[in-house]
Amino acid sequence: MFYIKVADLSFHYEKEPVLTNISFELNPGDFVMLTGENGAAKTTLLRNILGLLKPTMGEVTQSPTNRYGEKLVVGYVPQQVSSFNIGFPSTVLELVQSGLYQRGKWFKKLTEADKDQVKRSLESVGLWEMRHKKIGELSGGQKQRISIARVFATDPDLFVLDEPTTGMDKKSREEFYQLLRHQSEIHEKAILMVSHDHDELRNYCNKHIELVRKEELPWRCFSMNSCRELSKPRFSSL
Amino acid sequence: MFLYEFMQRAFQASILISLIAPMLGLFLILRRQSLMADTLAHVSLAGVALGLLVSINPTWTNIIMVVIIAILLEYLRMLYRTYSEVSIAILMSGGMALALILMSLNQGGTTLNINQFLFGSIVTISTQQVWMLYLLAGIIVILYIIFRKAMYVLIFDEETAFTAGLPIKTMSIAFNVLTGVTIAIIMPIVGSLLVSAILILPAAISMRLSRSFASTILLGIPIALTGMLSGLFTSYEYGTPPGATITLILLALFVIAIIVKKVMKQNQKEKITLKEQQ
Repeated sequence: MFYIKVADLSFHYEKEPVLTNISFELNPGDFVMLTGENGAAKTTLLRNILGLLKPTMGEVTQSPTNRYGEKLVVGYVPQQVSSFNIGFPSTVLELVQSGLYQRGKWFKKLTEADKDQVKRSLESVGLWEMRHKKIGELSGGQKQRISIARVFATDPDLFVLDEPTTGMDKKSREEFYQLLRHQSEIHEKAILMVSHDHDELRNYCNKHIELVRKEELPWRCFSMNSCRELSKPRFSSL
Repeated sequence: MFLYEFMQRAFQASILISLIAPMLGLFLILRRQSLMADTLAHVSLAGVALGLLVSINPTWTNIIMVVIIAILLEYLRMLYRTYSEVSIAILMSGGMALALILMSLNQGGTTLNINQFLFGSIVTISTQQVWMLYLLAGIIVILYIIFRKAMYVLIFDEETAFTAGLPIKTMSIAFNVLTGVTIAIIMPIVGSLLVSAILILPAAISMRLSRSFASTILLGIPIALTGMLSGLFTSYEYGTPPGATITLILLALFVIAIIVKKVMKQNQKEKITLKEQQ
């Protein structure tokens, strides 16, 4: 089964084509790295996949259910969230807890198990001690880690991450990649991640999509090389 | 003063407005729609002028007008996503222009009524208006309790809210409509020129002092109550216009909040420096 199926997607801004001939599937257990030069419309592709933009041609199909037949839950970490910078009145704990709401908690109280999940998520990014801090008081790297903790608290079936490691040091990045790999290999989560850390990340993910400019395409229009399988030792055998 | 029925009604209205202002105000500020209240108040004036022109109860024409404009505002906000204030500028001037035209068509005998809607009159509130406020406050409190989590996610980041499966367009329109109806109901009380100040200032003050989302709304209520009730007392004692007096008191509280926050930060810095020296 697939979680996301992209079939011959093209996208134009106004009349200018920016993406063409994009086709791939994202299945449970896939950890896909999406790379490309600056301006290669990586974020545009993610936004098409999430339904935030409508493809000009082709289509994106999102499975309504996960592999257990439950409603598919998507966890999205955008590149930037402006609320972090405008003095949004929220503590770190409130924000991370909000990740759980989409797990059927919009109208229900959080259980002790939910609170434990939030605690584990914050601990996994090393920010449990800062849970009562106002989010606006955090540094850039800490804000990024809070977004990651929030998405881990959601426990989604599909992670869509847009350059989530910006502002992180090498050690934190490696820990984060390990966590993601654990999610994909042990819990069969699907992960699509935009990244510039091509060399580091290729040791953790199992597929690679690169957006490239081909000669026959108009200027500023990107397509993809085939979705390449990467050979790497499986997590369980490490 | 409490022996007068009009003052009893005025105090009830003040308490009810204090209850709803921080909730709506905080959402308006965080959605960068602080000026939307002003826009709807201007459009509201056109609704009142229309009601007076066609001899229908202005409250109803007012509500209908603001509901239509609230929906239009959301459409324009989507159209000018990056410059969402454009929608406010367009509709604010459009609303005022329409109000002036409708007023000019209805010359003779209605100046007093229009003045009441422009500047408000908290001391001439009718029993019907108080009941409408009770109903409105009840609806807003219930909706807040039910949808607070969804609203938190929506105003934190609309794209994340969309991917979480929230109907962001419907929620945005419903919020605008609720804000519009609130403004239509409280405008004759506080006046179209000051309605946005009374909605926005308690939340703006509370944002300076609170750390969490929930406490910002909770602290906003006593702040609004302080401004509204002390404004009403002052207005009664000195014969000043109630809406303007309340606004000035809330502004004074805003300045005090900024100073308190600065002093607290300074103290914290000094403590840290002392600790480091030890």
